[in-house]
Amino acid sequence: MSKEVLVIGGGIAGMQASLDLADMGIRVHLVEKLPSIGGKMAQLDKTFPTNDCAI
Amino acid sequence: MLDVGRHPNIDLLAYSEVQHIEGQAGNFKVTVRKKARYVDEDKCTGCGLCSEKCPTTVVDAFNEGLGMRRAVYAYFAQGIPSTRTIDPDHCRQLNGKKCGICQKVCQAGAIDYTQQDRLIELQVGAVIAAVGYDVFDPAQIAEYRYREIENVVTAIEFERLLSASGPTSGHVYRPSDLNAKAEIQVLEKQAAKSGRMLARFEKKYGRTSADFFMQYQAAPTDDADQEKWARVYQEDLARKERLAALNDAVKDAATAKRLAFIQCVGSRDFRFYPFCSGYCCMHSIKEAIIANEHEPQTVSTIFGMDIRAVGKGFEEYKIRGGNKSGITYVRGRVAEIIEGPGRNPVVVYEDTRTRSVKQEAFDLVILATACAPTRGIAELAATLNVALDDYGFIKTVPSAPVDTSMRGIFVCGCAGAPMDVPESVAQASSAAERAAEIIFQSDPVKEKAVA
Repeated sequence: MSKEVLVIGGGIAGMQASLDLADMGIRVHLVEKLPSIGGKMAQLDKTFPTNDCAI
Repeated sequence: MLDVGRHPNIDLLAYSEVQHIEGQAGNFKVTVRKKARYVDEDKCTGCGLCSEKCPTTVVDAFNEGLGMRRAVYAYFAQGIPSTRTIDPDHCRQLNGKKCGICQKVCQAGAIDYTQQDRLIELQVGAVIAAVGYDVFDPAQIAEYRYREIENVVTAIEFERLLSASGPTSGHVYRPSDLNAKAEIQVLEKQAAKSGRMLARFEKKYGRTSADFFMQYQAAPTDDADQEKWARVYQEDLARKERLAALNDAVKDAATAKRLAFIQCVGSRDFRFYPFCSGYCCMHSIKEAIIANEHEPQTVSTIFGMDIRAVGKGFEEYKIRGGNKSGITYVRGRVAEIIEGPGRNPVVVYEDTRTRSVKQEAFDLVILATACAPTRGIAELAATLNVALDDYGFIKTVPSAPVDTSMRGIFVCGCAGAPMDVPESVAQASSAAERAAEIIFQSDPVKEKAVA
């Protein structure tokens, strides 16, 4: 019985899931294929509809 | 992003891949391969001196091939973790050539060319697959000539051109001009080298290259030195001609001010993906608004079958774009893109409101590409033992949108279906909650209480 969770992918979805679990006190292992997390979202300049900075 | 890197409950395994997984909900045994970065994560301070001094340049994937990076690099400037990575395919040292510059300049002593991949064993109760998507390759649509016309780009490439941290610092220069400028740089370097070589020959034989070449052409000799001189001189002439042509082409290079956005490139198309990718209409409107913010003279035309602005505040955003940011919406599907004078792409389309076929030239055409399943998802699905749907996304049912076919493995974001950022975030929270249910159920005390 393990109380840890594996999240595969460090884009916006993976990061949000990891943060939610970690805030619940659950230990998370976040695996990302690329050298840095961020995913496609990090490539976006701004996001709609508020034109906020993506990062 | 920063919060993820700092959170005490998150063990961040970047530059890693899941290799094997076995077991069931509540008790999965996972093997993760942590790829060798050739940089010690504990020692690297992320100062970037190695990247500055690295002699090898590589096409930058983060900037969608529009810029260059070094062989030792940070994936992007604010990337977490900030540890640099050596690209084993391009590093001189790792490919048996003489170099080792990064190791010499690194003050933290973090460069380690002998680092090996490591296998990490984990025990977890639940798994969340958030592997995202890939941009549809528009080269599959021959009539849009994505690879042939330089000034036809994808929406994500345009995003990098718009970004202040991108290869053009947010100025929307056209790829044809950027490529010409890059070629000029290379040619000027070569010209300087051949110029030095010609000067040496001229000094040695005491006459000009032009004089020599005229005589050589009339009466060629077998002398190796003279043959070389003639060859270098000829190459130099050809290069100068090309340089003059390129310089002439970029002489009045300006930023792109007439933009065309083409919707449903690969989506809602029975040849490729019949579904609507959902976010592309809003993405194009956003890019047109930002481009207009950067340069207020910029005008955009969005060609679409219909503009799907479904979401909180989205329709208002679309109308605001039309009223204040110079966007024209044309109802119609683009038939073809051809290259006109001045490297301008010409869009051929039917305006279904006036029922007429028209042509219009633009500075830059942006393709709103479909959301395609990420490469390698089939292998991952086999590793995780989860089913995929007809298009290659992870299969879910409408009543349980984050549950996969395997109990204890959940999916969120574009790994399951195309969706925008707010929906991805909502699904991620949902998947986190479903995973937590498994974790808390697997508490032995609680199980006893239930029994």
